[in-house]
Amino acid sequence: MVHPMRRLWICVLLWLIPASAAAQNAPPEDASKLWVVAGAASGTLRGHCQDCGADFPFRHGPGVVGNGGYRISPRLDVGGDVFWMQWRNDSGVIQAVAIDAVAQFRPWVSKGFFVKGGAGMAFVRNWVQTMGPNPDDSKALAVVFGTGWEFNPKGRVGLQLFATQYVGALGDLQTVNGPISDVTGNFWTLGAAIVIR
Amino acid sequence: MWFCRVFVLLAVLLGSARAATAQETPPVAQVDQNQTQSVQVQPGVNTTNSQRACDACPLRRVGMSFLQATGINVLYGLGNLARGEVTARITPKTWWANMQQGMVWDLNDFAVNQIGHPYQGSNYFDAGRANGLNFYESAAVAAFGSATWEFFGETNHASLNDFINTTLGGITLGEMMHRAGWLIRNTHATGKRRLWSEIGATAVDPITGMNRFASGDASRVSDKPQEFVPASLASVASVGGLWRGSQSSAFSAPGDPFLEVDAYYGDTNSGRSNIPYDAFWLRVRFGGGSAFSEARVRGRLFGQPIGNSGFQFSVIQTYNYQHNDAYSTGSQAIDAGIGKTCQVTDRTTFWFLGWAGLTVLGAVDSLPLGVTEKPDEEDTGHGPDTGPRFYDYGPGSDFGGLARLAHDGRDLAMFFYVGRHLYSLDGVRANHFLQHARVDLILPLRGPLGIGTSVEYFHRRSVYQDAAGSIRTYHYPQVRGYFTWSTR
Repeated sequence: MVHPMRRLWICVLLWLIPASAAAQNAPPEDASKLWVVAGAASGTLRGHCQDCGADFPFRHGPGVVGNGGYRISPRLDVGGDVFWMQWRNDSGVIQAVAIDAVAQFRPWVSKGFFVKGGAGMAFVRNWVQTMGPNPDDSKALAVVFGTGWEFNPKGRVGLQLFATQYVGALGDLQTVNGPISDVTGNFWTLGAAIVIR
Repeated sequence: MWFCRVFVLLAVLLGSARAATAQETPPVAQVDQNQTQSVQVQPGVNTTNSQRACDACPLRRVGMSFLQATGINVLYGLGNLARGEVTARITPKTWWANMQQGMVWDLNDFAVNQIGHPYQGSNYFDAGRANGLNFYESAAVAAFGSATWEFFGETNHASLNDFINTTLGGITLGEMMHRAGWLIRNTHATGKRRLWSEIGATAVDPITGMNRFASGDASRVSDKPQEFVPASLASVASVGGLWRGSQSSAFSAPGDPFLEVDAYYGDTNSGRSNIPYDAFWLRVRFGGGSAFSEARVRGRLFGQPIGNSGFQFSVIQTYNYQHNDAYSTGSQAIDAGIGKTCQVTDRTTFWFLGWAGLTVLGAVDSLPLGVTEKPDEEDTGHGPDTGPRFYDYGPGSDFGGLARLAHDGRDLAMFFYVGRHLYSLDGVRANHFLQHARVDLILPLRGPLGIGTSVEYFHRRSVYQDAAGSIRTYHYPQVRGYFTWSTR
């Protein structure tokens, strides 16, 4: 349960984000073509299968996010996105890494609002411990999309707050009770990151 | 927690709205590279209005493009509601349920997923293009429209395959249609001639057309944006009959009539380019096994000559759709290709392109082991599709080649081959290897008329991931005879 005062602070902070960004009047600096983002996130995971009828619980854990790439224009960055998350259940620790090719778009050059999306692969370690004792690795098709706000978008160094959803389509999941078909996992993240351009 | 959720939502929406209203007009120098290029070479540039990248270009309105993408969702939703679709009965509860569940695979019909969703995506994409956004910016609008439709447009859970097909297919079809609209549009004409050219363009690219009518651009005389004037343009229409063989016997079935159109916009084998889709190849076929049986688009994203060798390196985005009474397959892929145009004689050229790349998501019809014929699917009426679904989804890889022998710019022979591997992640678990080859021979008759024949072969080899590692192969030979009408 989040403390009411903390909840209020979060809300006030979110309310002030657009205003503070709009108030920025940083002069444009020499454009670098580099785009680097590194940060941390709080993640929530939920699985799904097409026909098994199971109701997967929400799981929570910390995550790390990194982006690296090339600035195509003042509005568009393209590159790679790496997301690592770890969570725990009754059987042990499970880790997932998603590596995606992404594009990030800022509709307004002087504002921090951005959307991003991409696709790639996810690797899940010990996923099967959710269902049985045999550790296993699994590869998945991954898709990512999200949005956020970047402070000091014209500067070399900035800060971004983001909300992102990663989807991993695993196919079959082998368990002690047999395979489960057509499994997908959804990872929701809320986090903050340093941006270097 | 509800208080904070609502507050966060309001903060984001208000923040975006404020940003939209406070948006400064980007000076021409800030317009992205594509637009800047067109500004530099565009005759008759209206430099007094810096919200337009060129005289005929639309006003740049970023917020409006996202608003129109949302409006498109509302229109599709109302359409579904009017048709009595249960999935259109959305409420905030269904939105929240979809957000809590996340993305899943869906069970919809092949044509809906592989051509319906990409077309819907093209509307989102063109909402960006119609409001002055460049190609990549409009791609973000396509993704935005797709994601919001999946979570908020229907009661059923957001679909991963729809999100990919709508976004990538929407980009491919959207840019192709946007450019086709600019080909039809005659911006120098006035009166009825102008009106009909704008109506024709609106039929191909409705979002851009409606924006132009609403803004008055549809009657304003100006030069076409240089970006949408192709370096070359050619097309071939073919009408004839197609005979398809089956597993057990070749060509026993009666022939199907068909109409096929190939369009060559620009030349993917020449020029240095970072303007997406300044060169693309389009093939569509009506008939020949189903009402709409084939659509292929191969659009160049980037092109670069390799030294002085005459070879050209290209990055190409592809959309494929084939759906007939024998087989169904579709895919969204990004390929890297190398091609060259050789001058055989003064009047004869040989053009070829080879490529390999990644298939982001592919689909192929597939039956479970032990099932030899597709059962009749249960009609769910206006309810959500409940399956089973008789095609598989998965990522993979692809490679292929395209070659054309032309005399005086008219095709004499054409060869096409594509091989594709799909690793099924949804459906029957298998590795599918698809091969598709086709050879066309065309004899020019008189003027633009010609007569042709083609031989085509589709082969699928599926290695199932059962205990026995079962393998099944399917092959479908095809022949056709047709008349052609060529323009260039």
